[in-house]
Amino acid sequence: MSRGRLIETTLLILAGLLLAIATVNDVVEQTHVNHRLIADLRTWRSYTGHDYRNLSIEQDLYGHTTRDVICGNTTPGGPKERVQLCLRMTGPVVRGARAAGGGWYLPPKVEDVPSLRYGCFGEAKSAGLCGPAARGSESPEGSSAEAGQ
Amino acid sequence: MGGVVRGSGRPARALVVLCALVLVAATAEIVLDGAVGHSPLIPKQPEIAGWLGGIGERLGYRVFLIALLAFTGAYAVMLGLARRVSKRWAIVLVGVLQLIVFAGPILISTDVFSYIAYARMGVEHALNPYTHGPSAIMHDPVYPYVGKDWKHVATAYGPLYTLLSYPLAPLGLKGAVWGMKLEALFASAGTLALTWRCARAREIDPVGALLAVGANPLWVIYGLGGAHNDLIMTLFMMAAVVLMLAGRSAPAGASVVAGALVKATGAALLPFMILSSRRLAPILGALGALALGALIGYAVWGIHGIDVVAALNRDAAFVSTDSFPTEIAHLVGKPGVFPIDHDLLKGALVVIVVYLLWRTWRGYDWIAASGWTLLAISVTSTWLLPWYTLWSLPLAVIARDRRLLVATLAVQALFIVHQISPLLVPVS
Repeated sequence: MSRGRLIETTLLILAGLLLAIATVNDVVEQTHVNHRLIADLRTWRSYTGHDYRNLSIEQDLYGHTTRDVICGNTTPGGPKERVQLCLRMTGPVVRGARAAGGGWYLPPKVEDVPSLRYGCFGEAKSAGLCGPAARGSESPEGSSAEAGQ
Repeated sequence: MGGVVRGSGRPARALVVLCALVLVAATAEIVLDGAVGHSPLIPKQPEIAGWLGGIGERLGYRVFLIALLAFTGAYAVMLGLARRVSKRWAIVLVGVLQLIVFAGPILISTDVFSYIAYARMGVEHALNPYTHGPSAIMHDPVYPYVGKDWKHVATAYGPLYTLLSYPLAPLGLKGAVWGMKLEALFASAGTLALTWRCARAREIDPVGALLAVGANPLWVIYGLGGAHNDLIMTLFMMAAVVLMLAGRSAPAGASVVAGALVKATGAALLPFMILSSRRLAPILGALGALALGALIGYAVWGIHGIDVVAALNRDAAFVSTDSFPTEIAHLVGKPGVFPIDHDLLKGALVVIVVYLLWRTWRGYDWIAASGWTLLAISVTSTWLLPWYTLWSLPLAVIARDRRLLVATLAVQALFIVHQISPLLVPVS
C-alpha cells in the first residue's frame, strides 16, 4: 500500500469512527429520552387517574435539565379539545415514574403558551410560570410530540 | 433450486435461498402492513393500495425496524455470497423486491405529493412552481397530502424533472401517484441495468453489483418505496458512465447535466469526468445540454426556473435529526448545528472535492472520485435524508477503489442504527 493510500485509509477510518461514536451516542441519548418519556406518561396518568393516550409532551432533549411538560385533557375528548392539565416533571426515573413538582391548566384548543396558563400550582406557581406576567416560557426547548395516537 | 448458486455447495445454496426469503418476507411485511394505513411510517395518501389492506396489520415502529434490520442482515450475508449467486436468481430476486414495493403504498416520505403538487400547479393552475409553494393551491386534492414542512416551499428540483412530472398532472391524484411510482420503478430498473453494464465493462462481477444496489434496504424501502426522484438522477448518472466507458464523452457530459437538471447534486460527476478524459468533448456536451435546459427552463418558468443556486442555498440551511453534523453536535454537548457549522461543513466539502480533483488529475479513477464526492455531500449535509445515501451507491459498486463501497455501506448502516431507539425503548 502506498503512503498516500495509507494516509487516506487512516483518515477514512478515523472519520468513520467519529461518525459511529456520534451515531451510537445519539441512539443512547434517544433511548434515555424515551425511557424518561415513558415515565412521564405513566406519572401523568397516575396523578390524574385518566388512562388517556393523547397526551402532548414537550421534552428538554438537549438542555440536560430533565424537565418535561406533559399536557392532557381533564375530561374525555379529542387531543387538546378540553381544558388541559399540564404537569411539570423533573428528576430521575424512580420505579418507572417521575416527580411532578407542579403544573397549570390551559383552555381548550390552545398550545402551551405562558400567557394562556392559569391555576398554576406547586413549583410552577412559585416560579411565576402562569398568566400574562409569566417569566419566559420555561417550556423546554427540545421537541414536542404527541404520544400514542 | 438448481441454478441458485454458481458452482457447487449445498450450504451456500441453502444460505442464499434463506437470505432471499428473508429479503422478500421483510419487504412484503412492510408493504402489507403499510397498506393498512394509520401508521406514523406511512404518509397520509389516497387509497392506492387498498386491495392489499386486509392482509397485514397496522405498521408500527417495532415491526418496521425488525423488518428493516432483518432485511439489512440478509442483504449483508447475500453480498458476502454474491459471487456464488447465479445471474438468473439475482435478477429474479431484485425484480421481485422492486415489484412488491411498487404494488404497495408510498412509504415513509411525503415527497411524492410535493412532486405532484408542483406538477399540478403548473398544469392545472397555471402557477409557477419555482415561485410558489403548494399552499398556493390549497383547494387542490393533492394539498392535504403535502408534508407540512413543504407547504410553503417552492420546488428545488431541476427543470427537466419538473417537465417530466407535468404529463402526470392531468391523470388525477391516484393516476399521478401511480405515474410517479412507475417513473421511480423504471428509473430504478434502468439504473440497475446500466450498473450491470458498467460492471461488465469494468470486469467487476455484475451479479454482485446488481445485488449491492437492487437489494439494498435503503434503495428498496426508502428510495423506491417513497418513489423518490433521486432514482431518476442516478439513471442519468449511470447513463453518463456507460457513455463515457463507451468513449462517447460528449453525450456523457450531456447526460450528467440532464441528471443535474433533475436534481442539482448530479452535477458532481462533471468535473471528474472532464479531468479524467482531458478532452473538450464532455465540456461541449455538457454546455449543449445546459444551454438547452436553461433555454427551456427560462422559456417556461422565467429566471426562477434556472436559478438552481438559490434552491441549493435554501436547502443547505435545513437541519435534520439524522444528519451526521447534528449527531456530532450532540456528541460535543451542543443542542444542534449553528450557522458557523454550515460554513465549516461547506469548507470541509470544498477541501475534499479539491483533493479528489487533484487525485483525478493524477490518474485516480474518476468514477470513484465522483462517488466519494456524492458521499461527502451527504455526510457533510445538515439535511440528510435516507435516499441521499443512495447517490454514491451505483458508482461505488463499479469503482476501482473498493473502499468507496465499504464507506457507502458503512454510512448507510449508521443511518439504520440511528433509527433503532424506538426498538430499544418503545414508547406507548
